[in-house]
Amino acid sequence: MKKFWALFFWFWPLVALYVCLIAPGNNWWFPSKPLSTMGHQIDGLFYLILIIVTVTFVGTEFALGYALWMGATKEPGRRAWFSHGSHKLEVVWTIVPAFVLVFISLTQLDVLADIRVLARFPESVKEAPVAEVMARQFEWRIRYPKPGTELMTSPQPGDLYFVNEVHVPATVPTMINLRTQDVQHAFFVPRLRVKQDAVPGLIIPVWFEIEEAGEYELLCAELCGWGHYKMKARIIADSPEGVSAYLTRLEREQNEDGVQEAETASVK
Amino acid sequence: MKSHVAWLKRAGIAGLLSIVVSGCSDNNSSFSISDRTRSLIPEAQTGVSEAPGVVKLLDEKFGDPQTLKAWSKLPVQWGGASAKVEVFAADGADAKVKFVAGEGQTFPEKATFVNVVTGAGAGRTLQLSSWDAATGEAVLTGLGGATLAAGDTCSIDGGAVIQSGRVLYMRHCSHCHGTAGDGNGPTAQYLYPRPRDYRHGVFKFTSTNDMSKVSREDLLRVLRYGIPGTYMPSFLLMKDEELTAIVEYVRFLSMRGEFERKLVNELASDYSEEAVESRLKDEQRADIVGELAKFLAEDVPGVVDGIGAELEESWVAADSDEAKIVPSVPRVPDSEESRRRGRELYLSKTLNCADCHGIDGAGNGPQTVAFEKNPITNVPYDEPGLHDVWDNLNQPRNLHTGIFRGGRRPIDLFCRIHAGIKGSRMPSFKNTPHEDIWHIVNYVLSIPFEPEPGATGVASAPAAPATEAAAPAAGE
Repeated sequence: MKKFWALFFWFWPLVALYVCLIAPGNNWWFPSKPLSTMGHQIDGLFYLILIIVTVTFVGTEFALGYALWMGATKEPGRRAWFSHGSHKLEVVWTIVPAFVLVFISLTQLDVLADIRVLARFPESVKEAPVAEVMARQFEWRIRYPKPGTELMTSPQPGDLYFVNEVHVPATVPTMINLRTQDVQHAFFVPRLRVKQDAVPGLIIPVWFEIEEAGEYELLCAELCGWGHYKMKARIIADSPEGVSAYLTRLEREQNEDGVQEAETASVK
Repeated sequence: MKSHVAWLKRAGIAGLLSIVVSGCSDNNSSFSISDRTRSLIPEAQTGVSEAPGVVKLLDEKFGDPQTLKAWSKLPVQWGGASAKVEVFAADGADAKVKFVAGEGQTFPEKATFVNVVTGAGAGRTLQLSSWDAATGEAVLTGLGGATLAAGDTCSIDGGAVIQSGRVLYMRHCSHCHGTAGDGNGPTAQYLYPRPRDYRHGVFKFTSTNDMSKVSREDLLRVLRYGIPGTYMPSFLLMKDEELTAIVEYVRFLSMRGEFERKLVNELASDYSEEAVESRLKDEQRADIVGELAKFLAEDVPGVVDGIGAELEESWVAADSDEAKIVPSVPRVPDSEESRRRGRELYLSKTLNCADCHGIDGAGNGPQTVAFEKNPITNVPYDEPGLHDVWDNLNQPRNLHTGIFRGGRRPIDLFCRIHAGIKGSRMPSFKNTPHEDIWHIVNYVLSIPFEPEPGATGVASAPAAPATEAAAPAAGE
């Protein structure tokens, strides 16, 4: 029975190792493959940490099993080795994790800077946000600049408005300005691996390069109130021409005076 | 002592089990009765002997949330289609049936059940295992002895739309708007402005004339795009058929509320607690109740039919082309001159926008500090300012915010001015020439971008309007 427990604790690290090895191929960790350029780096960091954690887990579990096995098979009369208070051991298990943590923090610095530091944003987007995404309880309100003009921080005549649907160009770096009208929200696009808090009073630039045109789910990832669960929108990634065609359409709709509409209807 | 502990444990486990089995609360919900109905004497609410009162009539015509009733008179798309059986061939427990759609009816694309309305199987609900909307051919399963004959009337998927509307409404809307659409759901108390109470049948932001009700298209628009500046969020991501089902259910609740209001109006003057109390000075209560019984039995059926006809007419008319506001002239191109003209009209004695919205459009006109009386009870309100039909304080809009609740398209603003904002104190300006309304629209759209409040000049006419008119819509 004593040996059973040793085998029991050796069994689980083997399962963990197996799961860790086959998980990436089966897409168990993420909702999909990363679909933005940044996503690959973020997934890379995740797998790095996964490897470190797996090695640590397997190692400690084997050590535990080993201790149990030695205890189970000890000769009668042999006394335990008393290690409590060992200075050397304490130093080793302080320094090794410290090195691991420093290693992780140094490795991710570049990725973090690419995501967050405006100076390292791609040149083409630095000064040119395509839209302002205003989070509010419990929807996303979008403001595009009038086609042919730049987005200003305050609303301008001719700005175009929409709600819960953001059209952005695919395959080119894109930046939006993230704001909130009330409490904290978070701009979370799982398939792009983009997640950024919206903080009251701040205009936070968020950039990404979507690799495939298509529809992406945008969720609020910061518990913002009783309607948090319904704060959902979609991002439509389209060719740049598709986006400008959409904006032209939106501009026409927004200038609707109820007469042209009737006229075009009667022509049909 | 030990036995106590054991008893507690047993009681705890039994309690937990009972929660697991039955759920935490009663799942049945009911449509609430309005305060005005409650102000009637109990006999008028519940009825006298055989004659039904308000509550009974409401239940008869509209049911409760579990079992909705379709009052066929109401212009609600209940879903499904009525049909007649053409061919019926039983095959064991199944049967092959061919249906012919009733007059003016089209078969729903998908159908899962059939209600038998006339014939030997009347009242039965039968399941469809296959359904072809194009030919009307179907396979019924689990007949359980029921037979149909050619000529029997059935309802295919009857009420499917209203029922899916109810499910969606309960999930997404009822926590603010309330089960009965009374704008008093559990989360309503945290909101300003308050959620809409549908029971007046009045909706603020419509594209219909001032005397018309809201159209389906208007409700759909509000669901899709929300109402900025309020807590009404956008439901853009829901499917079209889900949204149209919710619209039908909201219309159903509105009609129910209106029916209740109108019925109570017929009874309130003679049979409210207050009226009866004053009548008791020179009448006997038994006589009053006897008179009520007679009224309920003899006159109310006609009143109910009359209200039904009114509801039908007004709600059908709202979706007609005649109800829709179409400006007679296209929008006057935005220009400084047009804005100036708009400001003149805004300040003019005839339109008098400034009386509520303030000289500079900040929503602080003299009316906001005047004391009003409740038009129904004639009692002055506690706080100064304008009040809407829901008795809420109704702030005139501050036009500087750039938030347009009813939409920011020029046509939206045109409709707000032309038809007014229904239920609120914003009146209709339908007699104002359309061109002038466009000038005001241009002015109102420019207010958020004025360098300083009231900067749009009035007295000094522009020297060179030709060049002004050519200026594009963008800022000054």
